[in-house]
Amino acid sequence: MTPLVEFRDVAFAYARPAQRRARAFAFPGLSFAVERGEVFGVIGPNSAGKTSLLRLLTRVLLPQRGEIRLDGRRVSALRSWELAREVAVVPQEAPRPFPFTVEQLVLMGRYPHAPRRFFEDTEDAAAARAAMAATETLALAPLPLEQLSGGERQRALLARALAQEPRLLVLDEPTAHLDLRYQTETAALLRRLNSERGMTILLVSHDLNLAAELCDRLLLLRAGEIARVGAAVDVLEQGLLERVFGCRVTVDKSASGRPVVQLAYERG
Amino acid sequence: MIRAVAALALLALASPADALVLRDMLDREVALAGPPTRIVSLVPSVTEIAFALGGEARIVGVSDFCDWPPAARAKPRVGGMVNPSLETIVALRPDLVVGTDEGNREETFLQLRRLGIPVYVVHARRVAEMYDLITRVGELTGRRDAVASIVAGIRRRIEAVRAAVKALPAPRVLYVLWPDPLLVPGRDSHLTEMIELAGGRSITAAEPVSYVRFSIEAAVARAPEVIVLADHGSGASTAGRAAPEKWQTLTSVPAIRAGRLYSVDLSILHRYGPRVPEGLEILARMIHPEAFK
Amino acid sequence: MTDARRLATALAALGLVLAGVALAALFVGSAGLSPSAVARALAGRAEASSVEAIVTLGLRLPRVAAAVLAGAALAVAGVGFQALTRNPLAEPSVLGVSSGAAFGVVLAQILGFQAGIVAALGVTVFAFAGALLAAAIVYLIATAPGGLAVQTLLLAGVIVGIFFSAAITVTISVVDFNRLSGVIHWLLGNLAPIPAASLALFAALAAAGVWLVLRHARELNLLALGEEAASQLGVDAERLKRRVFVAAALLTGTVVAFTGPIGFVGLIVPHVLRGVVGQDNRLLVPTSALAGGAFLLAADTLARSVVAPAELSVGVITAFCGAPFFVWILRTRSRPV
Repeated sequence: MTPLVEFRDVAFAYARPAQRRARAFAFPGLSFAVERGEVFGVIGPNSAGKTSLLRLLTRVLLPQRGEIRLDGRRVSALRSWELAREVAVVPQEAPRPFPFTVEQLVLMGRYPHAPRRFFEDTEDAAAARAAMAATETLALAPLPLEQLSGGERQRALLARALAQEPRLLVLDEPTAHLDLRYQTETAALLRRLNSERGMTILLVSHDLNLAAELCDRLLLLRAGEIARVGAAVDVLEQGLLERVFGCRVTVDKSASGRPVVQLAYERG
Repeated sequence: MIRAVAALALLALASPADALVLRDMLDREVALAGPPTRIVSLVPSVTEIAFALGGEARIVGVSDFCDWPPAARAKPRVGGMVNPSLETIVALRPDLVVGTDEGNREETFLQLRRLGIPVYVVHARRVAEMYDLITRVGELTGRRDAVASIVAGIRRRIEAVRAAVKALPAPRVLYVLWPDPLLVPGRDSHLTEMIELAGGRSITAAEPVSYVRFSIEAAVARAPEVIVLADHGSGASTAGRAAPEKWQTLTSVPAIRAGRLYSVDLSILHRYGPRVPEGLEILARMIHPEAFK
Repeated sequence: MTDARRLATALAALGLVLAGVALAALFVGSAGLSPSAVARALAGRAEASSVEAIVTLGLRLPRVAAAVLAGAALAVAGVGFQALTRNPLAEPSVLGVSSGAAFGVVLAQILGFQAGIVAALGVTVFAFAGALLAAAIVYLIATAPGGLAVQTLLLAGVIVGIFFSAAITVTISVVDFNRLSGVIHWLLGNLAPIPAASLALFAALAAAGVWLVLRHARELNLLALGEEAASQLGVDAERLKRRVFVAAALLTGTVVAFTGPIGFVGLIVPHVLRGVVGQDNRLLVPTSALAGGAFLLAADTLARSVVAPAELSVGVITAFCGAPFFVWILRTRSRPV
């Protein structure tokens, strides 16, 4: 079975170091695949290229060499709204200012399905309602996004992505600004989407333990190169982590059998 | 047969509107159906002259600034010089509107012409042009006969002034039209000619354009012997009122040392009309008091 | 109620208001015409050279049309520019285009109508040239290798505006004193009856600008998500920004060219309408067009009747409305704008 996402020897470098990071950054040649129906995590230190990888996938950035394929088709050959029908991105946080209501936000996710249409139709409304139901945000529909709590906002953004009816859901730091409670809620929601709908999920996170719990496979990035890719227990190995992150860690087992990474704080 | 038809067609096409073709002071053609009997004057000096000639009956509307003679204030007003009300003008059913290129806007003239109202533009910056202006107003108001005596009277008085100051040395004169920013008359201003006729020499006579924003330093450097501050009357704001105290501090200036700083309402001099000799006489008295004992 | 239905209702209501104001404006004026005379002229039953015909059809009607067009254009330019910069306080005049056009006109006024080139081209063309120049400069300043940076756009617009305003001041200071009042009068913004051919051109340009913003209204909504997120939804963000910028510049430049700089309409009207129809640009653009036309028409009618027969500049009225309105916005921002 063709993987849903394939990166084949993708090379990319920012034109000027000043553009994004202080240090120059480059993917020398990245190759990996995401299988259908799996939950795939991308982890690594800051400026390892996690977000850049997302941007390459969603064509915000264009690779200088190599190909990115979505279900066998080259991403570069797709129209932007064709790509948007397959891949939906849940950003880290809602833009500010954002003067629209939750319902209006979710309906925005319907754009790729009929870009020429001026107003959304009943089909769009139904898809939006379904997305809000799945994320338990129907009650919040008429409220302005800015009035919601962090967790509610995150669910609204997720609803918008679901309204796109994608085959691949991409999340950029899904729990970065959330309370503990919302972190577990979000994780449960994602797992449900994956198990009940077979939704392929790609998530970028610096929360190693969340990644370990949720993901079937992990990709550990370091300075634009793959340090390791595989099951959580293989990737989250103490020696490797210490080399990549440059700090002392210990790796235990959680109650569910997944690895748990703990920082070894210096004393004194 | 064809020629007869053609001749008839030509006759029909020769509109009665071209019965009278004048040339205004910008040398533009003004086509009228006949002598104008309903004139709207957007120019205060034209209004003054019309009244002086006895032709006020033909004036059916004036600008807000047409305030002389007092009888002119009774005429229907059409608004300011810069933005008169087109509607009010049209409602007066004029057959001619008189405007000036110094105070009215070309845009107004375009609009009026577009509405089928002929516009006659005047322009007077020299005394010689003023006589021309009086003659033309006389023609427009049907008071040709009155022109000669008015013109003669003005000429006589101006000549009298000229004769009185002819032999005397011309002092350097600074005329302050507006104190702050300092506005003085330049080469193209009629005030420069007035000062000359009054027996003075304007220190800003060589400046280009009609009114110049001048620097006080330069004025001081040219050491005027007489300073005339134009007082724009009680209607002016405090900014417009001459402030002699400010000038008293410039003790290097001959005019200040000799105490020859005059502030006077010379608005009659700022308008070209029958009262110009009056203003000239006042100006001459300030510049050459010794000639008018 | 679906969006389409809400839009239709709002447009119908505003259309009624606009028609009402337009009709009222035709009956107001300093010519002292009786209502029956005006009605006669409007029905075409007055003699072509009668006072009521000339005043109603030759003066008032074109002026009403000009006011509606200018108001609509400015309001839509405001909506577009605010959506583009994601800033509800962005005003079209901040684009710098107004000042550029004003500079072109001042230059034309100084050359004087006697100068052959100016008479031939007309002041309007000079205004357009100035507007184009300013817009081009702003665009060039704000375009980085990555594309059009909207925050730089605001700053660039302000800077270009200041530059041209200074240029205007310098030019005015050397202008012949007698022309000065005419130039200053123009700079205050005035609606005057525009001849039919020019009016048709004005209408065509305004329609083009409004249409350009309207057809991208849905995408402008998506722009609120941020450019990256919008492009991940399939929006061509660069093309959208370019087009809306051009539309806003076209609308603003057109209005300034024909009527002089009139401020605050592009700020007040979209703002008030947001409180009524919400943030959706698909509703905001068409309703702002109608409301903008009605607003400016009302302001202009006030301007020409309050001190009749003298006339105030319409820009003065909008500024008098605008300043306290601005204060009110700032003080009552309890709901998110």
